[in-house]
Amino acid sequence: MPEAGAFSSGEPDGLSAQNLDRLERLREKRFAGALLAPALLALLATTTFPLFFLVWISAQRKDLAMPFMDGFVGLENYRQLLGDPRFWESLGLSMIYTVSTVVLQVAIGLALALLLMKMKRGQTLFRIIAILPVVLSPAVVGMVWRSFMLTPEFGVIDYLSITAGFGSRNWLGDPTLAMISVIVIHTWQWTPFAFMVLLASLAALPEDIYEAARIDRANSWQRFTRITLPLLRPAIVMVVIMRTMVALTAFAAIYVVTAGGPGTATEILNLYAYRKSFTELSLGYGSALAVALLIVTVLISFVLFLLRRERTA
Amino acid sequence: MTTQGQVRLENVAKYHGQVAALKNVELDIRPGEFFALLGPSGSGKSTTLRLLAGLDKPTRGRILFDGADVTAKGAQDRDVAMVFQSYALYPHMTVAQNISFPLEMEKTPKAEIAGRVQEAARKVRIEHLLDRRPGQLSGGQQQRCALARAIVRRSGLFLLDEPLSNLDAKLRLETRTELKRLQRSLGVTTVYVTHDQEEALTLADRMAVFMDGEIRQIGSPAEVFAWPNSIEVAAFIGSPPMNLMKAALKDGVPSIDGRPLDVKPVSGSPEVIVGVRPSAVRIGGDGIRATVDLVENLGDNAILDLSYEGGTARARVDDAADYAEGQTVAMSFDAKNIHLFDAASGRRLEVQ
Repeated sequence: MPEAGAFSSGEPDGLSAQNLDRLERLREKRFAGALLAPALLALLATTTFPLFFLVWISAQRKDLAMPFMDGFVGLENYRQLLGDPRFWESLGLSMIYTVSTVVLQVAIGLALALLLMKMKRGQTLFRIIAILPVVLSPAVVGMVWRSFMLTPEFGVIDYLSITAGFGSRNWLGDPTLAMISVIVIHTWQWTPFAFMVLLASLAALPEDIYEAARIDRANSWQRFTRITLPLLRPAIVMVVIMRTMVALTAFAAIYVVTAGGPGTATEILNLYAYRKSFTELSLGYGSALAVALLIVTVLISFVLFLLRRERTA
Repeated sequence: MTTQGQVRLENVAKYHGQVAALKNVELDIRPGEFFALLGPSGSGKSTTLRLLAGLDKPTRGRILFDGADVTAKGAQDRDVAMVFQSYALYPHMTVAQNISFPLEMEKTPKAEIAGRVQEAARKVRIEHLLDRRPGQLSGGQQQRCALARAIVRRSGLFLLDEPLSNLDAKLRLETRTELKRLQRSLGVTTVYVTHDQEEALTLADRMAVFMDGEIRQIGSPAEVFAWPNSIEVAAFIGSPPMNLMKAALKDGVPSIDGRPLDVKPVSGSPEVIVGVRPSAVRIGGDGIRATVDLVENLGDNAILDLSYEGGTARARVDDAADYAEGQTVAMSFDAKNIHLFDAASGRRLEVQ
C-alpha cells in the first residue's frame, strides 16, 4: 500500500497501522449493526411494512361484505375518492379542526406561559395543574367531556350556560356546536404541551435585552411584538408543526364524544377513513382515504418545515 | 456644554428585603459632566446606575433630572440611554436594526432614521458592519454597536455600566480614549460605573467613591487622589496602592521606626496611620532602614517591595537595575506627601 508507507513500521510482513485501523473500524461497524438490527427489524415490521401494506391494499377492491368482488383495481379507489363529495367535506373539516386547534393551542399556551412568567409565587403548582390534561388518555378525556361537561342540564358547561342566561344547549347534537365542542376538547387537552414548550423558551430569553428595550423606550406591547415574538419564533414554529401533525390524525376523543356526528358534522378525514374501513368494511377504499390523509399530512409538514428554515437562514 | 442634564439624588436608599444595597446616597451631577461611580463590586455603584436608569425603584429618597422628580417614572419614561456591561444587543436584529430600534420606538420619521443610524455608526466606526447580526461581531464591535444604539437618540443622560470590562487590555485603552472624545463632542451628561480606578481617574471630570452602599468621597480625580478622606479610599485609589504604615505618637508627632516625621503634632487621635504613595517614597540618603524583598520591573520604572522594622512598604523607582533583592536602603518622605489617618475611625487628619 503506497500511501501507508509514511506510517508503516518498516517491517515488510507486518500489518500497517492504517490497515489495522481499517480492520478495527470494520469490526466496530459490524458490531454496531448487530446491536441495531433488532430495533431496526422491529421498526420495519411495525411501521414501514404496514405503510407499504396500506398502499398495497388501497390499490385493491377489498370489501369484506362482498369478498367475491375482491381483486386488484390499480388507481380505481383514488379516482372514486376524487369524485367523492364526502372525502372533500371531511378533508375540509380536518382543515378547520387542525387550524383552529393549533391556533388556539399556541395562542392560549403562549398567554399562559407569559402569565406564569409574571407570577411571583405558585409557579410550580400552576405547572403541575396545567400539565394534567396531557397525561390523560384522549378516550378518557372524551368520556369525561361528553358525560361530565357537556350533558344537557347536568353537565358543567351546560349548567354554566344556563346560569349565565344562555339556556341549555344540545352541545353535541347541533352540528356547529358539536364541531366547536370537539375543537375545545382537543385544545383543552393539548394546550399544556404548547404551554410547556413555550414556557421553556421564554424562560431562556435573556433578561438584559428587555432592560435595554425599556431604556430604548419600548412599551410592553412593543417589547412583546419586537423582542419576545421574534425570539420565540423557532419554538412557535416547532410547536405548530408537531401539533398540526397530531391534529390532522386526531381520532380517539372525537370518536368517543361524537363518533363523527351528528350526521357527519364532526367526521374529519381520519374518522371517515375509519368508518369506510371498519364500519362499512370497504378496506380498499378506506386504505385509499388513509393514504390521502398521509399525503396531506406530509405535504403540510413539509411546507411548515420549509417555512421554518427559510426565515431562520 | 449643555445646560440640561443635571442629575440629583436626594437621600436615596435601596433595600433588597433586609439587605441594604444602597444607604442614604446624596449626589449632584452637573450638566455635561463625565461622572464616574467607582467602587469595588457590591459597593452599590451599579445599583445607583440602575436607579438612575429607572430599571429599579429606590426604597427611599428622590431622583431629580433637571429639577423634575422622576423617581416614580420607569425606564421607558425617562430620557436616558445606557450601555450595558453585557451590551444587551437584540440578537435577532442586524446592527442597523439594533441602532434604529430606539428611534423607531420614538416614532422618528422613516426618512430620518437611515441618516441618523449612519451618523451614529460612523461616530463609533462600525458603518461597514450594519448588515451583520450581533452574533457575527467580535466583542469590541458589539461594544461599539451598543454605544451607537445609545448615542443615536441624543438623550439627556448617558449611562455606562462597566462598558470596557469585557474588552482585552489593548482594545480597552483605545476605546477609553475614544469614549472620552465621544463624550466631549456630544456634551451629554455621562454617568460611568467602573471598578477600575484607572478608568475613573483618566475619564472622569468628577467621581464618587462607593463602599458598602455608601458614597465615601466625591471630587475630581485629582482631588480624590491627592486628598483621600479615609484609609479605605486611600487604599482603593492608586496603583500600586498607598502605603499605610502604623505610626507611634510622641507628643502628638507620629514616628515610624523611631524616626519622627516632619509634620505638625496631631491631637485627639490616640493612634494614627501614615499614608504615603509608592511614588512619593524617597530612597537613599538618611531615613528608615528597609530591606528590598522584591524588584518588580515595569519597563519604564520599577516597584520595590520593602520591609522595615514594623511593616512593609512599596516604592516606585526609576530604574530596576539600581537595586537588588536583599539590599538595604533608606526610605524617607516629604511632609507634603504624607497623609495621616485616625486609626480607629479611618478618617483623614489634616496636617501641616
